[in-house]
Amino acid sequence: MSDSILSVESMEKTYVGGVHAVRGVSFEVHEGESLAIIGSSGSGKSTVLRCINRLIEPTKGIVRLKGEQINTPAANINDVRSRIGMVFQSFELFAHLRVMDNVTLGLRHVRRMGKEEATEVARQVLERVDMLDRVDAYPGNLSGGQKQRVAIARALAMKPEVMLFDEPTSALDPELIGSVLETIRGLAEEGMTMVVVTHEIGFARDVADRVLYMDEGLVAEEGPSSIIDNPKTSRMKEFLSSINE
Amino acid sequence: MAFGTTSRRGKEIPRGTGWFASFVLIALILVTGSSQAQEVRCGCEFNESGTESDLLTGEALNGEIWAFGTEGVAGKSLDGGLTWEFDNFGSLDWSSSDSGYGSIAIASSNGTVAILENIGEGGDDIGQDIPSIPNGVGINAIALTSASSIVTVGDNGEIWQYLQGSWVNRSIGVEEDLFSISFLDSENGLISGEGGIILATTDGGISWDYRDSPAETSESRIVGIDYFSTVRAYAITDEGHILKSSREGTVPVGFVWNIVEIEREYPPGGGDEFEPGGNTLDFEVTSVELLSQFKMILTGPNGYLALSKDGGNIVSQQMVPVSNVTVFNAVVMQDAFRGVVIGDSGLVIRTENAGEEEFVGFEVTDFNDFGQFVDYSKERLMDGLVATVKIVLFGIAMGFTIGVILSMLKTSPTSLKNVAQMNRFQILSMVVIPFWVVSQLIIGTIMRLKNPIDRPMSVLREKSAHIAASRPVNVFAIRLVGLALLVLGYLQITGTFEEVRSLNLDGWEHIYVPVGAPRAFASILLGIGLLILGVIFASCNGDFSIKEFDVGSTGKKLSLNPWGLRPLNALATVYTDFFRNTPLIVQFMFIHFGLELGRRVQEPGLDLFDFEYLKDNANFLTNIIVTYETDLSSPAYGHPIGGVLEDRAYISAIFALGLNSGAYQCETIRGAIAAIPSGQMEAGRSIGLNYMQTMKLVIMPQAVRICIPPLGNEMVNLVLNSSLAMVIGYAEITRQGKLIIATTFQIFWTWGMVMISYFVITWTLALILRYLEDKTRIPGLGISGGA
Ligand SMILES: Nc1ncnc2c1ncn2[C@@H]1O[C@H](COP(=O)(O)OP(=O)(O)OP(=O)(O)O)[C@@H](O)[C@H]1O
Ligand SMILES: [Mg+2]
Repeated sequence: MSDSILSVESMEKTYVGGVHAVRGVSFEVHEGESLAIIGSSGSGKSTVLRCINRLIEPTKGIVRLKGEQINTPAANINDVRSRIGMVFQSFELFAHLRVMDNVTLGLRHVRRMGKEEATEVARQVLERVDMLDRVDAYPGNLSGGQKQRVAIARALAMKPEVMLFDEPTSALDPELIGSVLETIRGLAEEGMTMVVVTHEIGFARDVADRVLYMDEGLVAEEGPSSIIDNPKTSRMKEFLSSINE
Repeated sequence: MAFGTTSRRGKEIPRGTGWFASFVLIALILVTGSSQAQEVRCGCEFNESGTESDLLTGEALNGEIWAFGTEGVAGKSLDGGLTWEFDNFGSLDWSSSDSGYGSIAIASSNGTVAILENIGEGGDDIGQDIPSIPNGVGINAIALTSASSIVTVGDNGEIWQYLQGSWVNRSIGVEEDLFSISFLDSENGLISGEGGIILATTDGGISWDYRDSPAETSESRIVGIDYFSTVRAYAITDEGHILKSSREGTVPVGFVWNIVEIEREYPPGGGDEFEPGGNTLDFEVTSVELLSQFKMILTGPNGYLALSKDGGNIVSQQMVPVSNVTVFNAVVMQDAFRGVVIGDSGLVIRTENAGEEEFVGFEVTDFNDFGQFVDYSKERLMDGLVATVKIVLFGIAMGFTIGVILSMLKTSPTSLKNVAQMNRFQILSMVVIPFWVVSQLIIGTIMRLKNPIDRPMSVLREKSAHIAASRPVNVFAIRLVGLALLVLGYLQITGTFEEVRSLNLDGWEHIYVPVGAPRAFASILLGIGLLILGVIFASCNGDFSIKEFDVGSTGKKLSLNPWGLRPLNALATVYTDFFRNTPLIVQFMFIHFGLELGRRVQEPGLDLFDFEYLKDNANFLTNIIVTYETDLSSPAYGHPIGGVLEDRAYISAIFALGLNSGAYQCETIRGAIAAIPSGQMEAGRSIGLNYMQTMKLVIMPQAVRICIPPLGNEMVNLVLNSSLAMVIGYAEITRQGKLIIATTFQIFWTWGMVMISYFVITWTLALILRYLEDKTRIPGLGISGGA
């Protein structure tokens, strides 16, 4: 088996109000593997993802990136984040910057690249998400699917070791979902290591190497994507049938 | 590559706007720096006298005022100078005159003399036919010694007396030109001339004796002399000396002459005095007229008209609504208060109070005529407008800077927990950061080199990260610090008891301690802060989470989060609370009169940018700070005439407006920051930008756009609030309005024009902001920028 890129060990998160959103989650993601996290609303999927790149601090547990613990004060948080790409449900493009500048911002100010080098890298990733023709547009003038593809390019440009997708298609109209999923599928096929939180069960089955079903802050079921077709737990069965309706 | 360059342009607030704004600012300062030095007014419209001729001399006698001038022009006014009738007496230039004994004698420089008799009784025709002085002798000045006898003086020492129908030469062999003659009565008279000559007679002009003028003026041209009373006479030289002679014991007036020490000299408008001291006026003077023992009016070319009420010690130049090229030739006073000043081009301006009104003593304009009113008031309003714009621009700049800094402090997430978790390397790097910032600014931005302090910074960061990882928080050290803070705080507070007690306050009077003992009060505040910090730190047990306590049996919980206290936020809150909870007008007065901030900034400022240094090194930046008069011939040579440091009230006004506005702008900007979706911060952090970078590159550019409209309101408020600067004597529009009313009594017009002036400023500001808003609008973003 190939190396573990990302590992999460008995992660717990209690929010300030006392909500125990994650109650001990463990999993590993290997090089080139794509993991899909599914689960009902409020089960703690987003919380897990945010704890991984420490947008929120896990209350307990260990997160490792390439074997080195990243949720300690010793880890350079900005460096860690630049090695983990994150794509948000609501895109979160920088509204005041054109597409090109959205992508080059991190390259120039985190990677300290010169303008030309950054532009070159940006063109490559924008080509990969098929957005090269809109480099001068402002995010406000893009469709939802285009925005999400730019957001993917922005994360990709940093050459992350792992990509985290938090419901990348839930904010999109049905006809726009396809292009984004296509892009992610392409990435998976190229061997990008990724964790995808999604409600697109079909997509999870086709693209993900493994699937992780979360329920009430715990991993209820885990296995290859085939478990979607014959879930063992009754909760997962219920969940899948509710989605398929 | 092409798109790379074009795309960078439009995304941030256009650079050009900043340049434009600073250009306007600088231009204004440069323009106003020079305009403050002089009052320039148009004189051509005051020709109410009805003549265009130059009026050279005049007399007031028996309720009539007479004026004489070029080409035989002669006019009289029966109503104190308001209306005039002009006529011609021959075609000569009447250049000197004297009156008394019911007659007026006039003379032209070529030696022709005429006497007008029975003044005030309707008989104003030329009386006797007086022949010219023999041999073509000229006349510089003339004096009447009785209704029909005259003494004249002229060039080359000529003194002639006209007595009983014929001319007698009374010259005493003086070679110098004689300029002025003045008789106290029919016996006692004085003559002055070039080479410091002063002659005196006690027998009606028959014989003349030398008098000694002071050594300093022994070479000077004494152009005017006035024998006012048995105890006082004055004379002036064209260099601006004022000579005074008093009766000393039994020695009569005229024997002993002293030069008056000019202690202070004020420019028009009663502004700050020119250089003090010296014994000459800073202007050329041609005539002196005594109104009383000590009160005199001095006139000269270049629009010079000045009043002294103490015999020349303090001379204040009067602001007159005529141009500074106006030539004043004579002062004609009916009594000590009412009279006119006459000059070239038929100029007649009148006063009814000897020019004693604070700002404008002489009045000619009919302020009921709107055109004349505007002519008079527009200059003042423009000065006020420029003054307002100056403090507003600086106030906005200062307020915005403070607002941005405060809002960043207020939104900064640094909490006590972060402070407590700092290790020695982090503390060390906090010491290094300022140096890093400075060298980054210089080396990084200007020279685009790598910052040499980068290395130590990253070493420090690594070490602190290492320590943070390898060792848990040192609870013992934190407690020790806590104890130390407790002791410090305790000492701070107890140390002030003595001082507070010595104020002798009872009960509620203690709320005034901040004023009575500001230092003690500051210590108490600091002490309280230290005590709170000390308690928190000393109670540290390594657990920084929120503490919850059950309150009795109610089931409610009391939650305490001392480690969540945000010190930077607290600091900013104290500031904004203070400035938002006291009236701006009080802040103005407190800052200017109480703290004397203007003086405290000006003095060291002028030391730093002193004249000796700037004389040769002035550039346009230092001109903004302070501009010195470098024209050697100017009386203000070496004194500040422009720039921020010129005026204390100006400095104080900028500070009051800026500090106050900063508190409000802080809240506005903070609101805008809060309006940016939190996802933007997360997105920025998720690609590895640190907090400050995300703030600077992602949050602020959007927040600033959002807050343009509310900031615009804030700035308009600042403009309107700038009117309060009048309470500290800063001559902005409103104060100018009050001064205009003091002169013109046109209340409606004045306040109306003041309002228009404000409207012009705020409207311009609004247009600029609207333009900015438009320019910085983010395409496709409907909600932000108010687009
Ligand atoms: N900032 C927060 N403060 C307090 N509670 C929170 C916060 N964020 C999330 N929660 C709670 O934590 C639980 C898990 O939330 P989370 O967002 O991880 O769910 P999710 O699985 O991503 O759901 P969805 O599929 O709807 O996105 C929920 O009960 C939610 O209400
Ligand atoms: Mg979620």
